[in-house]
Amino acid sequence: MRSIPLISSCVAALVSFAGAELNLSQPLLSKQVLLSTFKPPQVFKNANLVRTTNLDKGYPRETINVIVENIDSKPQSEYYLPFESSLISRVGGLEVRDKKDAEKGAFKVEVVGYDAESSATEYYLIHLPDPLSPKEQQTLSITYSVLSTLNPVPAQIGQSDKQYLQYTFSAYTPSAYLTEKQKTKIKFPNSDVPDYTTLPAESNAEKKADPQKQGSTFTYGPYNSIPAGAEELVSVRYEFTKPLTYASLLERDIEVSHWGGNLAIEERYWLENKGAHLKNQFSRVDWQKTSYMNPPTSALKGLNLPLHPGAVDAYFTDDIGNVSTSRFRPGNRESLLELKPRYPVFGGWKYSFRVGWNANLSKYLRKLSTGESYALKVPFLEGPRSPEGIQYSRVHLRVILPEGTTNLKFSTSVPIVDSQIDIHKTFMDTIGRTALSIHAINLVDELRERDLIITYDYPWAAGFRKPIVVSLGMFSVFAAAWVVGNLDTSIGKKKTA
Amino acid sequence: MAATEGEQFLKQVSSRNTRGLLRVIILVLIAGAAVSSRLFSVIRFESIIHEFDPWFNFRATKYLVQNGFYNFWDWFDDRTWHPLGRVTGGTLYPGLMVTSGVIYHILRFLTLPVDIRNICVLLAPGFSGLTALATYLLTSEMVTSPSAGLLAAAFMGITPGYISRSVAGSYDNEAIAIFLLVFTFFLWIKAVKNGSMFWGALTALFYGYMVSAWGGYVFITNLLPLHAFVLICMGRYSPRLYVSYTSWYALGTLASMQIPFVGFLPIRSSEHMSALGVFGLLQLVAFVEHVRAQLPSKQFQTLLRALVLIIFVVALGGLVLLTVSGIIAPWTGRFYSLWDTGYAKIHIPIIASVSEHQPTAWPAFFFDLSMMIWLFPAGVYMCFRRLTDEQVFIVIYSVLASYFAGVMVRLMLTLTPIVCVASAMAFSQILDTYLDARSPKADAKENGTSDPAKVAAAVVLPDGLRSTRQPLVGIYSYASKLTVIGASAVYLMLFVLHCTWVTSNAYSSPSVVLASRLPDGSQHIIDDYREAYYWLRQNTPDNAKIMSWWDYGYQIGGMADRPTLVDNNTWNNTHIATVGKAMSSREEVSYPIMRQHEVDYVLVVFGGLLGYSGDDINKFLWMVRIAEGIWPDEVKERNFFTPRGEYRVDDEATPTMKNSLMYKMSYYNYNSLFPAGQAQDRVRGSRLPAQGPELSTIEEAFTSENWIIRIYKVKEPDNFGRDLQSATAFDQGRKKKRATKRKGARVLRVE
Amino acid sequence: MPPKSRPAAAPASSTPSKPATSSKTGGSMDAQDIVLGVWNNYQKITPQRVKLLDSFMGFLVVVAALQFFYCLLVGNFPFNAFLSGFSATVGQFVLTASLRIQTNPDNKKEFESTSPERAFADYVFGSLLLHFFCVNFIN
Repeated sequence: MRSIPLISSCVAALVSFAGAELNLSQPLLSKQVLLSTFKPPQVFKNANLVRTTNLDKGYPRETINVIVENIDSKPQSEYYLPFESSLISRVGGLEVRDKKDAEKGAFKVEVVGYDAESSATEYYLIHLPDPLSPKEQQTLSITYSVLSTLNPVPAQIGQSDKQYLQYTFSAYTPSAYLTEKQKTKIKFPNSDVPDYTTLPAESNAEKKADPQKQGSTFTYGPYNSIPAGAEELVSVRYEFTKPLTYASLLERDIEVSHWGGNLAIEERYWLENKGAHLKNQFSRVDWQKTSYMNPPTSALKGLNLPLHPGAVDAYFTDDIGNVSTSRFRPGNRESLLELKPRYPVFGGWKYSFRVGWNANLSKYLRKLSTGESYALKVPFLEGPRSPEGIQYSRVHLRVILPEGTTNLKFSTSVPIVDSQIDIHKTFMDTIGRTALSIHAINLVDELRERDLIITYDYPWAAGFRKPIVVSLGMFSVFAAAWVVGNLDTSIGKKKTA
Repeated sequence: MAATEGEQFLKQVSSRNTRGLLRVIILVLIAGAAVSSRLFSVIRFESIIHEFDPWFNFRATKYLVQNGFYNFWDWFDDRTWHPLGRVTGGTLYPGLMVTSGVIYHILRFLTLPVDIRNICVLLAPGFSGLTALATYLLTSEMVTSPSAGLLAAAFMGITPGYISRSVAGSYDNEAIAIFLLVFTFFLWIKAVKNGSMFWGALTALFYGYMVSAWGGYVFITNLLPLHAFVLICMGRYSPRLYVSYTSWYALGTLASMQIPFVGFLPIRSSEHMSALGVFGLLQLVAFVEHVRAQLPSKQFQTLLRALVLIIFVVALGGLVLLTVSGIIAPWTGRFYSLWDTGYAKIHIPIIASVSEHQPTAWPAFFFDLSMMIWLFPAGVYMCFRRLTDEQVFIVIYSVLASYFAGVMVRLMLTLTPIVCVASAMAFSQILDTYLDARSPKADAKENGTSDPAKVAAAVVLPDGLRSTRQPLVGIYSYASKLTVIGASAVYLMLFVLHCTWVTSNAYSSPSVVLASRLPDGSQHIIDDYREAYYWLRQNTPDNAKIMSWWDYGYQIGGMADRPTLVDNNTWNNTHIATVGKAMSSREEVSYPIMRQHEVDYVLVVFGGLLGYSGDDINKFLWMVRIAEGIWPDEVKERNFFTPRGEYRVDDEATPTMKNSLMYKMSYYNYNSLFPAGQAQDRVRGSRLPAQGPELSTIEEAFTSENWIIRIYKVKEPDNFGRDLQSATAFDQGRKKKRATKRKGARVLRVE
Repeated sequence: MPPKSRPAAAPASSTPSKPATSSKTGGSMDAQDIVLGVWNNYQKITPQRVKLLDSFMGFLVVVAALQFFYCLLVGNFPFNAFLSGFSATVGQFVLTASLRIQTNPDNKKEFESTSPERAFADYVFGSLLLHFFCVNFIN
């Protein structure tokens, strides 16, 4: 489990990308570059495939359960999963497990791409841990989320109107292999689905109306023998009167202080509501009138940040100072930080802010038995929790360890694209603190429970570096003052004499 | 005080050192008290920049820190005064920004990365500690008793008159300027006393710093020559005066000319001419004295005196001639308003519209200075008794500053230091007299014997004070001493209480954030300003031009980070008048003005819902007046008043008022918040017309939670070439305006 | 705009009389012998060092006058330059005069705290400051 991100980060290190600017349009992806003529070898077939698309949140969550079978004569371990190149940069949190043996952990996955920009299809390459012998079957469970793919239709609505989202996808699950049997289930948040594409019943394996409706669940399919790369675009439009919260960037700093026994966490968000824009301008009168009834709205009114118990000194500020509309509720099971932006964030509006809090280090840090090494276990992502979900386009996580830390290693189950270890200089540092920065893209709030585990060595002597340096500095200042004072008087005496 | 008390008990060799140490400790404590009493707002609210001007200073400081000193020097700011821009580097006093920039870099060098905002917020309290120190030094130069200095420092540390401009967050020029003012005066006194070039040069150096920090440096520029002049007139010329004054003037003038904003002013404007004149006069006097020393001949002396007089008159005549012929700039308007309080109201409404340029109301003196207001004359009187060179300075300073403080609220600030010094002198005299005689019996007896001889005692002032009291008490001197000391202590306590009360209640509100109390007593923060500014910052294009009244220009620049049309640096009256005109005219008139200036959003402040009285409708008359100053034909103040001369917003408001853009923007849609016909303006306490105003050329874009800030978006011209009035009417489906509609169609066909 | 600096020139124009003492001032007076007396007195009493100072002051006055007339005749285009040059001479003049006063033994009682050495140190300090400002101002 640990090795996957480590290796993928090594792959990522090959790919250089510029700094983490907000408006960096180039997608961040680690790729293995292939020739544009590449075609995945037809060594597998999908015996049965069920795709479930969950639209409860502000982004679709896909789960593909597929039984793959080796049709080649040799054992195979490389399974390709195709995506459109426009889509692949928005796919996040892709994980593959063995359906029958979920405990085994996620398989190693990497992105392979073409050198040519224009090519329409790119692949995720799934490495099966044990090569599949010929004629043998294995059930894969592939989960991923697709970010910023839901479009509000109509794109402009009134302030208190319902918001409808449109989702376009292929009724045939994209696959690089022949699929013998497949169907797609779509779970809507409610049964208000005014528009959807109907496919002719002939294509349906059971010759029934396509799609099949059952409450808030639609089913496209089943279909038989869909060749590799086949596509049948369908789109659905459904009600979703909730904000589409999208963080174009999240910067998360975790600072470890052994002296203070403190873990300081600060998060900086650049939020945007990707929902439908306001048709007219914002009307405070209407807002105040309706806010009593608290109807569902496409505006982002507040965020709830569940923190680990023991979090203290929480703050909520933005570029121009403290935001007074926050509330912090400490609790035994979890502390809750309730944030309210300065204004309701409607579709197309932005809001950037920072929150931070302190926590007791002893809950996160453990001293290892082997000498002076420590293990730190912190959540990779905390962030707000809400039923409609949050998408993070980029996440920069930085863990600042005490000065003099060496031999730093980390592991996490969150897919990351890059990591580096550098030096961060701050309050009265001489050599600077060791800082680990991790970059990840296309994360969603579902990953908020994942941990980041860091082990490092922190020699006992390093802890005394700062007090010694500071006292030496003070001492030298006093000494200098004393010398200068002595000099001065002697000159003065000479002069007055 | 403690030092003098300690004196009695510490007669050992080490007592001098001990007292010195005690004094240092007391001073440090005073500085600490001065700093901490200014932190109310940080504790109660947060570390935030206050009011209006500080936001600009803050923004400029950020620019300095980010872009370096040389870029700051040549900074052309195109985000203010759209479309003119402002040569900011050359039109500001850089002292404040450079000071905090230097502090920032020193801290960075010491690897203490402190946020520049926190430096800016805490700069004023920090410097107030230094001011207390400078006051101690200045007072110690005046009198021998060290307790006066300590008292003065304590007074200076906590007096509301100074706190009003130096609470944490009021990051304004005055924050450091008062320290510089007092310190420059201290150096000057030191220079005059010692007749030393060194101190004179230091005076010049700090004078230069002061020039770089605050426009009020003119006060020093005139006070020092006046002091010198009075000394000469009193026949107190001495070579010391020559040395100190000339070295100050020669260096100080050069130093002041280093600031681009000041530039050649020191040799061109009338405000600086007195210094030059006295400089010349001193040369003459020095020369004459020199010759007289060589030649003790009476007739010769008188002849030379005549010569001096003639030259002086000729120089003055030349000066007047030059002023008239326009080579030397005449006095500026702000300066005129110092002499004639009505001047600004008539000629420059923009100066008069600033509340801090109003004449001071009487209670303000007591409010800001408390008990010092009656100690102050006593201190000045005591200066008359001995009248050394430096005490002459006190007298001149107090007379001048009292006058200025009476003319302009803002100048209370220059009065405060001298009031502190003078009253500390008086107070310490009382305390010294009454505390001194406590331990030695002989002294007490002497006091006792002097009691019956009231006449003799009355010669000396503090004795006089006592003698008036002792008959009242009528008992032994211990009792009288206790009474007086007790009374003094009570007064001091009251003073401290008053200062704390005033500071916490009157001067510690950031005015960006308003606080109110909920019924359960908890504090509720009204944060509408920042809500709206942050909305602008996040949700409008980076170069969207915001039009608002100039009061909010700096805040929009600082918090919303958007270009503004006018701001608090009121250098271009015409441009402000343009905005005033746009606000006070009908929509049809305003719209072309706004389009011309590429205005994207209009921001108004409206307090009607909350009862916030500092809103734009209450400031509206100044907009009208300023606009009228430039376009007397188009904007008339009279039209905004009802026939009975009332300024109303309700049903009886004049049509001009009701049609003005400001009125419409303030009350647009406000009706629908209330049941029909019940709309109420809580500031002006009047019921609004049942029919609310309608807007056609602009549309509401954002209104803050409590309606304090309302932002309107200026509409694009209509696609069909109609004017926006008819377009709106058409959209609303009104058939009445068929004529205009047809006209619109015809235009289409022509095309 | 040459007349602007006239007030500034007033002290300067009065000072030529100082070093060359009163040969001019005395010219207007009828008492020729008084002037002569002053001159003789000056020659007799003044120490050599002070004479050196006086001649330096005279030199400064001449330079200042030259600059001023140049400015009058040719124009004051780089006004900064003229101003700093002129102020440098004026400033140096007053500083020298101050030094002269401070070191004058007759004024001993006025300047108890300042020894001649201290005065000279002050003088150097003041001059350094002055020239720093001038160089900074001249661009």
